[in-house]
Amino acid sequence: MKFRKAIILILCFFPIVVISQGRYITKTGEINFEASVPSFEEVKAKNSNVSAILNSDNGEFATLALMKGFRFKVALMEEHFNENYIESSKFPKATFKGKLINFNLSALSEEAKEFVVVGEIKMHGIDKFVELPATLSIVNNTILMKLQFTLRPEDFNIEIPKIVSSKIAEEIDVIANYYLTKSN
Amino acid sequence: MTQRRRFLLLISSLAMIGYFGYTYMYKDHRDIKTEVSEIEIVAPYLLERFKNDDGNDLLNKTITVTGTITQVASKVITIDSNVHCSFATELTGVKNGDIIIIKGRCIGYDDLFEIVKLDQCTIIK
Repeated sequence: MKFRKAIILILCFFPIVVISQGRYITKTGEINFEASVPSFEEVKAKNSNVSAILNSDNGEFATLALMKGFRFKVALMEEHFNENYIESSKFPKATFKGKLINFNLSALSEEAKEFVVVGEIKMHGIDKFVELPATLSIVNNTILMKLQFTLRPEDFNIEIPKIVSSKIAEEIDVIANYYLTKSN
Repeated sequence: MTQRRRFLLLISSLAMIGYFGYTYMYKDHRDIKTEVSEIEIVAPYLLERFKNDDGNDLLNKTITVTGTITQVASKVITIDSNVHCSFATELTGVKNGDIIIIKGRCIGYDDLFEIVKLDQCTIIK
């Protein structure tokens, strides 16, 4: 009896183990896209203010890019992108919400590890289910997550007029880099 | 009209078309730094407007935001935890708690973190 009481007493003083919600975030992620066609002017833009959250307990990932934040080298191209193609006043943001398959924080190392992330891209008023390849690594408690994939404007109801269609690639290369740091 | 004059006219009109075409296609980017801001607003009120769906007319506009710095990263100042201002160059001489006035281009509302984002910012004061 005394023994049992002692055990209960010891248990009482043990710290309660709380499963902490690990959130890794950034507000300055980078998305680059390129739709250049050889021998024509390069069609390329960069957004350095992309937000992202990775839940390190279950691999849930969400990211948001404001369309007005994409900067082009040529001002007129930026204007056409906003006004005619992505219609950023009507659809100011693009989001992705999904999950990294078989994600495990403790399995990450300095060496990049490949994952698949499945979820939904919401852009230009269209939702599209996608499976994207991702690589993740961790250095000094900062997770570097890289995504590289292609998108087709027609899948998002973006019409490219005939006159310029020869100067814009049908498949757009997208590269996203996120340096995610632990948030409290 | 002589053939020579006709030729000169053709060349000069082609040059004009070329010149205006080129300046149209390769016009300069907006210079937010020298633009006059459309509105001066305190950070919490700016966020409030976007939360109430009343911010869309501020998109792509040059605005001035005032408030207290709550976070400084290498190229980003956060005002009152709700406006994210990004700069082209590394920041020096600013710290948490400073009262600041920043001019920048409003690029929209980020509902993931519930913040309003500005880019191409400059510090006014």
